[in-house]
Amino acid sequence: MNAMSVNWILALPEITLALAGLVILVFGVLQRPGKGIGACTVLSIAAFVGCAVLVALSPDGAAYAGTFVNDSFARFMKILVLLGGLVALLLTVSYRTDERAPLPFETAVLILFSTVGAMIMASSANLMTLFVGLELSSLSIYILAALERDDVLSSEAGLKYFVLGSLASGLLLYGMSLVYGYAGTMEYSGLIAAIQQTTALPVGLMVGLVFLVVGLCFKLSVVPFHMWTPDVYQGAPTPVTAYMAGAPKFATFALLLRVMSGPFGAMAPRWQILIETLSILSMVYGALAAIPQTNIKRLMAYSSIGHMGYALMGLAAASTNGVRATLVYLAAYLVMNAGVFAVITAMRRKGREVTSLADLSGLGRTDPGLAAALAVFMFSMVGAPPLAGFFGKLMVFAAAWQSGLYVLVGIGALSSVIGAYYYLRVVKVMYFDASAERLDQPARSLVFVSGSMGLATVFFVLALGPLMALARQAALALGG
Amino acid sequence: MTPAIAPIGLGSYLVVSAALLVLGVLGIFLNRKNIIIILMSMELILLAANLNFVAFSSAHADLSGQVMVLFVLTIAAAEAAIGLAIVTVYFRNRGSIQVEDVTMMKG
Amino acid sequence: MLAQLVFYVFAAVLLLSAAMVISVRNPVHAVLFLILAFFNAAGLFLIAGAEFLAMLLVIVYVGAVAVLFLFVVMMLDIDFTQLREGLQRHAPIGICVGGVLFAELIMALSHWTMAPAGVSVPLQAAPGLTNTAALGTLIYTHYVLLFQACGLVLLVAMIGAIVLTLRQTGSGRRQNIEKQHARTPEETLVLVRVPLGENVLEQGGFLRPQTSYYDTAVPGSYGSTGQPAVEKEETGA
Repeated sequence: MNAMSVNWILALPEITLALAGLVILVFGVLQRPGKGIGACTVLSIAAFVGCAVLVALSPDGAAYAGTFVNDSFARFMKILVLLGGLVALLLTVSYRTDERAPLPFETAVLILFSTVGAMIMASSANLMTLFVGLELSSLSIYILAALERDDVLSSEAGLKYFVLGSLASGLLLYGMSLVYGYAGTMEYSGLIAAIQQTTALPVGLMVGLVFLVVGLCFKLSVVPFHMWTPDVYQGAPTPVTAYMAGAPKFATFALLLRVMSGPFGAMAPRWQILIETLSILSMVYGALAAIPQTNIKRLMAYSSIGHMGYALMGLAAASTNGVRATLVYLAAYLVMNAGVFAVITAMRRKGREVTSLADLSGLGRTDPGLAAALAVFMFSMVGAPPLAGFFGKLMVFAAAWQSGLYVLVGIGALSSVIGAYYYLRVVKVMYFDASAERLDQPARSLVFVSGSMGLATVFFVLALGPLMALARQAALALGG
Repeated sequence: MTPAIAPIGLGSYLVVSAALLVLGVLGIFLNRKNIIIILMSMELILLAANLNFVAFSSAHADLSGQVMVLFVLTIAAAEAAIGLAIVTVYFRNRGSIQVEDVTMMKG
Repeated sequence: MLAQLVFYVFAAVLLLSAAMVISVRNPVHAVLFLILAFFNAAGLFLIAGAEFLAMLLVIVYVGAVAVLFLFVVMMLDIDFTQLREGLQRHAPIGICVGGVLFAELIMALSHWTMAPAGVSVPLQAAPGLTNTAALGTLIYTHYVLLFQACGLVLLVAMIGAIVLTLRQTGSGRRQNIEKQHARTPEETLVLVRVPLGENVLEQGGFLRPQTSYYDTAVPGSYGSTGQPAVEKEETGA
């Protein structure tokens, strides 16, 4: 009986959030049609905050017969995921300002359920948990991407994401079946034991691992599995894009880190070169392909491809320091990414959303506050000191250097320089181009998000000490 | 306990499921224009994975593979429902389900 | 011996029908071949000792998913012959690539090696339990969290299907019963003089008496007043 109660306490944050989602769903259904998005979003935000508190208080341990684990790594990732979801919800509040029908209240509920899935992913200790959490998270996002159902771009985004996403899940599942076939168990602890037992690893296991990595890299939009990213980012409603660029990426990284350093940790020399290649391809492609873009949402898609490449660097290092660096990088990415999307959501003219880069011209004169915030985020994405992005990059470069991946560090530095070109072009458009027509006054929630994220980006260094300590603890939990 | 698949052999199951996987992937690349067939090809890929899980579960005499198939079937059904809903929405907007029609966004 | 024979029959039909799914011209036939493939896969499950999953595959896949496919194929009015044009062109190269992929998979998967026995404790049912009961005892104990999460997945699918496809813009006509009962022929019939040799459509199509037709519709449903766009669709029908 005692074991039973331990189970429930460990998964309490997920269970609470899921139950809150059910309550909010019923509440939303009882509202009049077309209303209720505001109230449901506010309730979801409250649920997220409550859940974050529960996560922070949750104890360590494994539960549900070894399918679910809670440790400092899971807590770190869950807090990141919850923050990512929270920001997306804040952007949803003031998204629709023109005469079209408001977004359905299900938006908030789906973001909430997707976050539950992402949290389950962060706690996975079994390939089954991995798959179920991943699908709960992804299926919600397919719907969210197509949510603007009268908009061709949005339904097209949903369709593309769905087709490629479910192909990736299929391949992931096939890979999982091969891994299971070798080890005879899906628990990570069993996999660790099975893989450590043999010196000559069978080909089937390697094939399974490759399929598994391909499936996960697809969700991370790592080159060469990135084809969907620009179209989906552009077509989906902006708060949904903000969500996609945040929470699910953190959760997938949680999976990748956990699987690679846990069950497949003993095979590190074999997969290191694979991850290294993916990292290089993403960094270079993200930097080069972003240059001709004129739409800021597409630009952010290529930017996220590049950032995932940098974050993979920490994994390629295959060390505790590498994991810590990746975690810090993701935290910095969360802050600046959320800020950029708050600014993009604020880009409106006469209530209509505008997303082209030219619409930002002269923003430095027409709305100095918003322009300053965006400039801070862009400099941070470049990696200019002393902003958040600088410390993230510094740490992944250092970790890769320590592991002797000099080529990787060199290419990373080079692609940072190329990437600086397109980030700084945004700043140039805002401050040196002739003024376009004024943008609308941004809603208060957007001012709040972009302002607070801007402050967090600038003063990231103050939180760096505790953050690094937490990340180190998390990385150690993963290693041991 | 002797595995139920002992008389047939694990290898035969693996060959069948590998062929099914290849057919599914092939179906996606050959029918790039027709989303309904693409969705059916996804079902074939999932079926291939399920067949693997069942065969391995039997060979290892371990039930977790079968539990996994149970979950996969549930999730695949949900996935099919969502996919068809998205296809319907897309068809309403575009009047076609051709993937190569998807040229509104480029680059 | 018999098991082997049955296995080969099921496997052959499964692969043939899977090949037909991706190559037939008519999508309705493709769905039917998909159903055949699922039936045969269920047979393979049965041979491997997974009775419950075999039943589930038939019930869930044939009964629900394949029928859903059939429903959508028939509901969307699509010119499928046009969609198949690229098939012949890409077929040779596709088959080559597929063949290579298959050969590689066979090379990787033949001589399957398993981890040495004893590294992990296999999850086995208590002796004497049927397959169904054994799965049941597992999903309600060991895997209860995942089982519940699967429930959430189904809920999400339901929300998604509703939020994406349900339109509340009054495409259904609901009548105000009292008004409908109180209608008299004088209100509903209008005689229009149509000139000889003229098409009805040129006279404005099928006209409906404004007052009685539009008044009986429940506000917000199809054909109620305040929806001029609806009226335009109606003419020329």
